[in-house]
Amino acid sequence: MTAATLFQSALASLPEIVVITGACILLILGRFVRKGQEHFLVWASVAVVLIAALATLMLASEVRPVYTGMFIADRFAVFFKFIFYLATVLTFLLSRKYADIEGIGSSEYYVLLLFALLGMMIMASATDLLSIYVGLELMVICTYVLTGFLRRERRSNEAALKYVILGAVSTGIFLYGVSLIYGLTGTTQLDGMAAAVTGDPLDSGLLLAVVFIVAGLVFKVGAVPFHMWLPDVYEGAPTTITAFMSVGPKAAGFAVILRVFLNPLVAASDVWIILAVIAVVTMALGSFMALVQDNFKRLLAYSSIAHAGFAIFGVAAGGADGIASVMLYLLIYAFTNLGIFAAVIMMRNGDFSGEVIEDYAGFAKSHPGLALLMLLFLFSLAGIPPTAGFFAKFYVLVALVERGFVMLAVIAVLLSAVAAYFYIRIVMVMYMREPKRAFAPALTPLVRATLAVTAAGTIGIGLFPSWFLKLAQDSVFGG
Amino acid sequence: MGIPLLSFIIFTPVAGAAVLMFLRGDDAARWTALSFTVLDLALCIAMLVGFDTTTHAMQFTEMRSWVPALGINYALGIDGISALFVFLTALLGSICVLASWVAIDRKVKEFMICLLSMQALMLGVFCALDLFLFYVFWEAMLIPMYLIIGVWGGEGRVYAAIKFFLYTLAGSLLFLIGVIVLYFYGGRSFDILALTEQDLPFRIQSWLFFAFLIAFAVKVPMVPVHTWLPDAHVQAPTAGSIILAGVLLKMGAYGFLRFSLPMLPEASMHYSTLMLALSVLAIVYGGLLALAQDDLKKLVAYSSISHMGFVTLGIFALNLRGLEGGILQMFNHGVTTGALFLFVGLIYERTHTRSIADYGGLMKVAPVYTTFLALFTLSSMALPGTNSFVGELLVLSGGFAANLVAGSAAVLGALLGAAYLLGMYGKVALGPASVGVQLKIRDLNAREMAAILPLAVFVLWVGFYPKPFLNIIDASVKHLLTQVQSKESGP
Repeated sequence: MTAATLFQSALASLPEIVVITGACILLILGRFVRKGQEHFLVWASVAVVLIAALATLMLASEVRPVYTGMFIADRFAVFFKFIFYLATVLTFLLSRKYADIEGIGSSEYYVLLLFALLGMMIMASATDLLSIYVGLELMVICTYVLTGFLRRERRSNEAALKYVILGAVSTGIFLYGVSLIYGLTGTTQLDGMAAAVTGDPLDSGLLLAVVFIVAGLVFKVGAVPFHMWLPDVYEGAPTTITAFMSVGPKAAGFAVILRVFLNPLVAASDVWIILAVIAVVTMALGSFMALVQDNFKRLLAYSSIAHAGFAIFGVAAGGADGIASVMLYLLIYAFTNLGIFAAVIMMRNGDFSGEVIEDYAGFAKSHPGLALLMLLFLFSLAGIPPTAGFFAKFYVLVALVERGFVMLAVIAVLLSAVAAYFYIRIVMVMYMREPKRAFAPALTPLVRATLAVTAAGTIGIGLFPSWFLKLAQDSVFGG
Repeated sequence: MGIPLLSFIIFTPVAGAAVLMFLRGDDAARWTALSFTVLDLALCIAMLVGFDTTTHAMQFTEMRSWVPALGINYALGIDGISALFVFLTALLGSICVLASWVAIDRKVKEFMICLLSMQALMLGVFCALDLFLFYVFWEAMLIPMYLIIGVWGGEGRVYAAIKFFLYTLAGSLLFLIGVIVLYFYGGRSFDILALTEQDLPFRIQSWLFFAFLIAFAVKVPMVPVHTWLPDAHVQAPTAGSIILAGVLLKMGAYGFLRFSLPMLPEASMHYSTLMLALSVLAIVYGGLLALAQDDLKKLVAYSSISHMGFVTLGIFALNLRGLEGGILQMFNHGVTTGALFLFVGLIYERTHTRSIADYGGLMKVAPVYTTFLALFTLSSMALPGTNSFVGELLVLSGGFAANLVAGSAAVLGALLGAAYLLGMYGKVALGPASVGVQLKIRDLNAREMAAILPLAVFVLWVGFYPKPFLNIIDASVKHLLTQVQSKESGP
């Protein structure tokens, strides 16, 4: 590698370099932050992300494949990176007060989040199965630790352990698939794989390899049949981390899935059938299981399984519109889901957990404004216009019908009618029950800001989807 | 193109809701809501004055690009059919505010916000010329209506609200798929007018017809997907019932008129016998159910099912008299049944019972109330001289022309209507005063009269001189009919 190409590579990965440098500096500086001065950590972390975002924007104009084809800085990656930045910054803002209440406000918390961000960024830019693996592992190892951050709570420890073990198995499966691919094609580069195969794309060995890779990746987005870890982990992890995981790592998983599955080699096989089946089963399981949940975090876990199912419908549809629909879906889901999690996090105050749905009885009576925001997020998750959630679903359906998968579209909407029930049940509890106790939400300015940003995104994209749609369509790779 | 009048009509209630957000005090909320709905009604009257009844073309059209990448526009416009319902919606809007003046005593501000946003969305449904826009308005109505029933309703409101929500949602989601399929067949366009121009293969038309049917049949509601209606009506506050009966039910029938008939003419013709059978079933079954009710509100609710059966009967008779009668009957049903729900609400405020058995001899205590109740009861059973007579006569003559059996069965339904309505009136108003009624019941006051009088005027106006109303819809209906029949020789 000459100095010029090295420079080019470094330039293309400038945002990643910013984040890793910032994280390392914070790790050291964190030692010197005294108690009561933790807000410095929040602002420093936010600043690191913002600088990275700035660097990403500067590089957004052209496509740069670097590091000998292992890494690419294209608009597709930029789009996803902005979802990650959004998720990370909002998680930082939400964490400030929550970390105090739970007593987890050490510098490692923020540094680990930054490293997880770095892992996700590498995943979005990776064009080689091995660089995908590096990003993936970096991200999940950080989330393993963050899940178990409530050291004194059994639930949190149990969740972390479960997550580590199942995660390690799925990573192993993924790597096994990669080794098969390497054996069959002699390369791990996504573009090289297609060129190397000259024979039948339905070769059984290749199919086996693809199935292994599917299994490994599908684990990360929590789709059936690899969803078992998700409700326990979402329930046990600190709520801020749950919020982060439901948006960031999930979007990163989809970034990789899109890159791998819409690779010409994989697209030529009938892999969409596998995806369609996974999508239907995932959405059905998520929706029906969520119906019977009493715990808010578990309900949101199943809801996020259902949403992953809906997004996989978009992957199954494929094509430019299919890719763009998944991207838009994830962006809108990031706003909406962080919004609803912000509301749950805000309820955690004193000895009040706000984790049981019944805790919200009569919330609209004492806090009409906050209840209205929650109503907005819930209806957006249910996909009712004029919220953004409707447009997200609508565009996925358009992509499905465009490919002629009308039956899949019908199944998708029927299942989302089931899913609507548990969202409006929460609205019902908030609006149509009498309050049992006084509410004291921890409504710090930072939480307010988060709610404002997410609400603006939820209603803004719903009313004026044009610009965001164009952005997603322009960011589709390869055409 | 001058002033975007339709946008003003749609967004006046939105502005009202926005103003309400910053107000304090219940009375201020009531007066603000009333003034915005009256202003909206005034705009609608201005619209009707400027309406050209000689053409079937869309008028007051507006067009702005909304999501160009998918060919979605913010397109508004009205023809004769929608003009009538825009007016009806605005009229019932102010009456709903008056009807909730004292009936709603908690969270008044929030209630008025829901009411106003509901009105804006309903007006949007009738004005939209873009399928996507239509769907957004159509579906967004679920949110305020869910809250109106669920928060301000009666004892079983939670169940009723969720049932209403899920029924309507499940129905309209299939409609959404239909819309998207239509979008690709129509060359990636959501333009309603352009989509009516094209010829779809019969197989596609059939599929779409049934996808649309589910959505519209739930809204109308047609038997057997009507079961949400009695629950929703009984539990909803008076204003909610008026909106439901007056406008929401019309949307299903409007959907048939705006989409099923012109876009899927061959399928509409092919399945018209099925639709006639379903309509007759609704007329007779709804009437029989109404006959068995002791609850005043339930009685009116089931009578709505029966009356909406007449509407769909007229529409799927697919001839001029049937269609004109069906559309006029939609308007009439909005006026009459809206008024009946208002009357039930007024008496309930006084006695807190809706059981017919608790009433009797109301005539002696509240003569004005019972006189007007008589007028609307007679109107509901289509006595000559009232609005429904004109509509029902047209529907029946259209129905007989289309299908003798359907026409005869519908006459039976009309007889049932006379039976349950007269029975109800006799028990409530005549005879010896019951124990509950002997307690001094206040007769109507000025505010209540203000809500009732406009409706009474329309009952008699349409009853004695229906020409101006038929004039409004005439050109559009004739055009609709040519659209359907031009395809007759096709396949």
